[in-house]
Amino acid sequence: MRLKFRTEGGFASFPGLRAPVEIDTGELQEEEATELVRCVEEARFFQRPEGPEEPPPGSADLRLYTVEVEEGAWSHTVRVYEPVGDPALRALIDALDARAKALRRARRKQGSEGDR
Amino acid sequence: MNHATCRNPVFCLLPPYVLREIARNGSPEQREVATRALASDGTFRSLRQVTTPSRTPRMGTSGALDPEGQKRRTIYDVGNTQDLPGRVARAEGQGPSGDTAVDEAYDGLGATYDFFWEVYRRDSIDDDGLPLDGHVHFGVDYTNAFWDGTRMVFGDGDGELFNRFTISLDVIGHELSHGVTQYKSGLNYFKQPGALNEHLSDVYGSLVKQYLLGQTAEEADWTIGAGLLAEGVNGVALRSMKEPGTAFDDPVLGKDPQPAHMDDFVRTFEDNGGVHINSGIPNRAFYLTAAALGGNAWEVAGRIWNATAIDPRLKPDTGFRRFARLTARAAASLYGPGGLEERAVRAAWDGVGIPAA
Repeated sequence: MRLKFRTEGGFASFPGLRAPVEIDTGELQEEEATELVRCVEEARFFQRPEGPEEPPPGSADLRLYTVEVEEGAWSHTVRVYEPVGDPALRALIDALDARAKALRRARRKQGSEGDR
Repeated sequence: MNHATCRNPVFCLLPPYVLREIARNGSPEQREVATRALASDGTFRSLRQVTTPSRTPRMGTSGALDPEGQKRRTIYDVGNTQDLPGRVARAEGQGPSGDTAVDEAYDGLGATYDFFWEVYRRDSIDDDGLPLDGHVHFGVDYTNAFWDGTRMVFGDGDGELFNRFTISLDVIGHELSHGVTQYKSGLNYFKQPGALNEHLSDVYGSLVKQYLLGQTAEEADWTIGAGLLAEGVNGVALRSMKEPGTAFDDPVLGKDPQPAHMDDFVRTFEDNGGVHINSGIPNRAFYLTAAALGGNAWEVAGRIWNATAIDPRLKPDTGFRRFARLTARAAASLYGPGGLEERAVRAAWDGVGIPAA
């Protein structure tokens, strides 16, 4: 399964945080891969409307999440504004966000090594 | 003075004018503590030298007589879940809770309410005494603050990139001011009108802080979100109104993408059409106006912008040029056509490549 996760908007614009994170479960540790697949299934991802639903009138600084999942011949995209009400979809987004955070941490480490 | 809110006991004993000095000239850490001490309710209310507004009785929604200029704050602790609203952690008139985020939100909402009331005679965001609700400890390591159309929500930050979002008074002022825009012009949250919506929140947010600290336009740092970036991140704040595009340049966050001039206007569909990006252009025009006029930014430049924000000619689809013209007209009608103020406004817009003619 291949996943692509993108976050935009929020209180300020950070070019480094806008870049999409791409994940191929085949390249992950088994435990992490199983967890992501479970999150996709529990969120009934392929049955969800693409969205995004309009955010509440007058609202501002909300982040917009875009999740793309490719599984065999299937491909689907879901876009949703925070706060994500559905717990199953939120669990998927939290898992992807955690992955994005781990990649950023690695990038900071690389960056600081490059400075030396 | 409210001793219980002071983290550093030294700051509890200092008279307000010394605190103000520290807030202006101390080390970053001293400034933060001093700002917080000033912001805690008892302190800054006594600092205000303005005449107390007449308390006109008014019929509230409850049918009871509510005095104008009376704030009604409720801070909720969402307990690191996303189940809004959470439990009430501090209601209007209650003493400090001891929870930093709760007390910062309470004091920040109070400072923002007082700013609008004392400076522009606006009674809460709807000008009808709307109660103000803040929700803190939203989510786990949550790295955002937002206005959901009825309430302000603040994350704790992840400690790696961002500290808690209640740390900067201008961020609290910014969120609340989205409510003002919602009740007045209703600027669309997309492209140029969206960037103006963001711009007005930055203007008000920055002025709330400058007013509390008693800073002139020259003394103010003109940043949004100072103290919010975590230690180790290469940046001073989230945005700079004075020098858009210079607030951060970091291997993880990237470089501050804000343009300071129309020549560098960013066309994008991301971020609702760049609302947090192109707001740098009008932000700098406001700074240039305030810098040219000198003194306290909330008194003249702020009054011109506030008059524009509540001008019925400011429509949901207003773009930069029309907004610029409205500010020039507001300056002319407030301070006389062709006067110093109108000329400063026009020169400021010229300086960012937007003709206000």
